[in-house]
Formats: sequence, C-alpha cells, structure tokens
Amino acid sequence: MAMGVLVVGSIGDIGLVGLAQRFRGQDVHYLLTGQGDAAQLGRYGVSRVYQLTTGIDEYSFSETLTDLVNRGSYSIIITPVNRFYRTAAPMAAQRLSAPLLTDVIDVKPIDDELEVVLNSIGNRAQVTVKVTGRVLLMAPPARFKPSENPVNASIEPLQPKVVNVVKVVSTEGKAKGGARIEDAELIVAVGRGFRRREDLKLAFELAEVLGAEVGCSRPIAADLKWLSEDHWIGLSGRRVRPRLYIAIGISGQPQHLAGMMESRTVVVINNDPNAPFFRNCDYGVVEDLYSFIPALTKRLRDILKR
Amino acid sequence: MDVVVLVKLALDTGQLRVSEGKVDVESTPLKVSDIDRNAVEEAVRVRERVGGLVHVVSILKYGPVQRRLQEAEGLLREVLAMGADDAYLVADEALIGSDQLATAKVIASIIRRLGKYDLVIAGEATVDGYTGQVGPRVAAELGIPVVTYVRELRVEGSRVVAKRDLEDAVQTVEAPLPALVTVTREINTPRIPTLLQIRAAVRKPISKLTLADLGLTLKPTIKVESAVPMQVKRRGVVIREGTVDEKADRLVQALIQEGLLTPR
Repeated sequence: MAMGVLVVGSIGDIGLVGLAQRFRGQDVHYLLTGQGDAAQLGRYGVSRVYQLTTGIDEYSFSETLTDLVNRGSYSIIITPVNRFYRTAAPMAAQRLSAPLLTDVIDVKPIDDELEVVLNSIGNRAQVTVKVTGRVLLMAPPARFKPSENPVNASIEPLQPKVVNVVKVVSTEGKAKGGARIEDAELIVAVGRGFRRREDLKLAFELAEVLGAEVGCSRPIAADLKWLSEDHWIGLSGRRVRPRLYIAIGISGQPQHLAGMMESRTVVVINNDPNAPFFRNCDYGVVEDLYSFIPALTKRLRDILKR
Repeated sequence: MDVVVLVKLALDTGQLRVSEGKVDVESTPLKVSDIDRNAVEEAVRVRERVGGLVHVVSILKYGPVQRRLQEAEGLLREVLAMGADDAYLVADEALIGSDQLATAKVIASIIRRLGKYDLVIAGEATVDGYTGQVGPRVAAELGIPVVTYVRELRVEGSRVVAKRDLEDAVQTVEAPLPALVTVTREINTPRIPTLLQIRAAVRKPISKLTLADLGLTLKPTIKVESAVPMQVKRRGVVIREGTVDEKADRLVQALIQEGLLTPR
C-alpha cells in the first residue's frame, strides 16, 4: 500500500506526529491551522507543512481537506478529537469513501493492512479493526509523544476552499470554571446526591486537602448548572484518566462511566447500596455523604498535615 | 415541512454481555440511543409548529438479523408513540458490523427515495459507538449543509437558525433548507408517550427494507477483529459496616496501601 501520512491540526496538536511516526518509513506532512511556527515541525521529521492561517467553518474545511488529500494521494489522515473535527472529518471521509476511526490508541501496519486499536462501545471496550486502503484516524494528541528527527520542512501556504452554506451569526464565550480536568491526577466528582448548590463546598474542601480537581456528572453541569461545563465528566463531557477518582453521590450511569473508565483507582461514596457505580469501583463506602465527607476530610487533614 | 429523524438502535452498554473475555454483541440487548429520543422530540415539535410529517429512518447494525427484527420493531414503536408518523428499517446481513460510510450511504438512499424532505435531525452521537459520524456523513452524501451540536433550533421560512454548543463557546448559525442538524441532550426533554399513543403506534407503518430493495451493494472497508471489555477488573471492596469514622478510617488505610496517599 502506497502510504503518505497527513497530520491535521494546530501547533498544539503536535503530539499526533508521534502517532504518525508509527508508520515507519513514511513521509509525514502536516496541515497546520492557525499562526503556529511551521518550522518547529521539522524537528520531528515533518518534511512538508501546508499552513492554513484563515479560520474557516467545518463545511469549507472538509472540502479543503478532501482536495488536499486527493492532490497529495495521502492514505493516512490523522486529526485531533474535538467538535470541529468531529464535524469536518466525517464529511471529508464520506467524500473520500474512506472509513474514519475515532479514539485511536495504537496502530500497527502489517504488510498491506493496517491494524488499529481504539476505544469503542461507549468507551467500554478496546476494539481492534483491520483496514486496507485509505483511512482517517482521530486521536487525542496528548496520548502521543513525537521523537526528534530533524529535517528541513518545506512550508507552503494553503488556500482554503470557502463554501458559504452555513453562516455564523454570532459567537459568545462560555463561562469557565478554570478547571483543567483532563490532565488532573486526582479528581473528586460530585453528582445528584448533593441536595443544594451550597453543599458542594463539602466536596471542594475534600478536593483542597487532596490537591484534587472537582468534576461532576451531567445533571450538575447541564441541568442544574451548579458548575460550569468544563467540570462535566462523561461521554458528552470531558474524558479523564486520573490516578484516583472519588465519585460522591453519583449513581453511575453508563454515560458517566464512559468518561472515567480509564481512571486507575475508583472510590465510590453513595448512601444507596444498590447504586450501579458500586459494581465499577475499587473501594466503595455506603454512607450518607453529608456525614461521611466531613469525616473523611478531617481524617485526611490529620494524616496529610494540611 | 417534512422532517426525517435518524434513530440508532444502539447496544445497551449498561447491559453489555461478556463471554470468555470478549464483548458478546449478539446477546447484548438493544435500546433507542438516548440522544436520538431528543432528536425525535425536536422533529415532532417542529411538525407541531409548522405541520408536515416526521419519518424515522433506522439501520440495524447488530445481528443476528432474524432474531433482532422483532426487537428492532418494538423499539421503533417507542419512537412512533412519541409522535413520528412512519418508520423505515433497513435490516440486511451485509450491514451487520459495517462502517459508518456504508450506514450513511444507505440512509441517504432512503432519504432520496422519500422524494420530499426539508430537514434531517440526528443525535450528536450514539451511546454505543459515540463517534458522531453518521450525521455529517449523511449531509456530505446528500450535499446539504450540516449544523452539529445544536441545543436550540428555530425553523424560519426556508432556513434554520440554531445555537451550537462548542467546547468553549456558543455559536449562533443560519443555514438554508434542506439541512441536516445534530442535537445535544440539552435541546429538550423527550416526552413520555401516553398509553393511548402507545396503542396508536401499533398501527403506524414500519417499512422493512433490504439492500436489494434499495438497489445497493456495499464494499466493506474495515473488519472488526476483536472487542475486549476495558477495565472491568476493579477490586470491588465495598465498606458497609461501622460508624462514619470507622468507614473513613478504613478507606484512608486502603488508599495509603494503594500508594495514593502518603502520611506525613
């Protein structure tokens, strides 16, 4: 299979070059969006950079990408995972008659075939698929680390193909809680077991003693709006993989579990002994959170001297 | 206004069956993908405001086809009871385990056969695959605009105005009809049908089709080798007995032993 690898993304998505390098002996090119320093990509063996400096909508981007892939005869196209690419990449894939595999963990080229390992079934299983021919891969850049292999990258500006079908009327920024939950090592997550917004301070106190970030289930962010959406962990929220995940008053619906499956140690605190989350925990405590969390926080203060 | 709503009969991941360390897809029950109920609700609301019809389109992705047919029909009756007018179900061995490229081609083919359509509504993603590909792919196949992650939708004459939920911003966009829209769970609260509506749904038409009926042949592009459940091995130590302080102490001791806490 003739292969050329095209990585797509901003300069912040450079981690994806690490995935591209697993296709040994292949040229790696980069469609760079935004103002990032294109020359920097040469350090990691990227031999050609197409730089697209104007921001365009997903529809136009998918057309631009389709044309570039056809022009360069790329067989492997790698993009980051976010709502922009979740919209643009499938459109490009359909035009290219190619499969698109999301949440990719690893790739193994074997002769004419490509074996791809990905998280699937609502993040409940690791699935291995075999592909022949052109394929688009979507992966979180932070999962990979490119190794250095300096070359001189040729840089050419890319003219977008702008298709005016969807008109943006306005854009307004979302309120942010300043949470960086995706990278957190320790997480205290809160759910509907909390009766009032003010009561969340119990969880925040616990998090402070541990040095943890506070996350939440869908109702707390989406319905009640007690916390901003950057705290929301789940299938449609953020995906996290901390060393310790403490779920307080969360029943454990599959959509929530999908967002925290990769946590190393899971602690569940709930007063309902039948909460489904207890079937997916390392340590569970059946207790009323209103009496248990203050007791736990006090105990931790004593031993951690904080 | 004729609205097409895409409904996935998804694997019920809360009831995932496992045998010999592999996911047993064939014996895992199906359910209407949660977000697709929001899509149906929105489609019915659009029809209630401006008139027209709501068609449901569904592709059976999990086998065995013969055994699943009745299960699929039962699930489609649930969304018909919510107010959709009729349903199209494509069930064909060649679609079992097929990729989204094929799914989108089949859906687009049915939509074209309907002749008249103004709006296509889908969920932002399904609860089993969660790739969110099919909506944008169908739009590309039909050559119509796509507006994803919509949490507020208005139909104004021959265009839609939508509020899109992006990671860091809410974007308001306009698109001409026909268009495809994918919705998030925040857009509405799906109605629970009354007993009367459930009874009435039994008489609504469900057309069952095969690829031959649609004149389609598909070439598979991917082959699923294996599916292994992730991280199902948890310790499962549940502390039920003792006073609040005793429980806190036992938990803290366990976390120290795991190396997650270091006493000072």
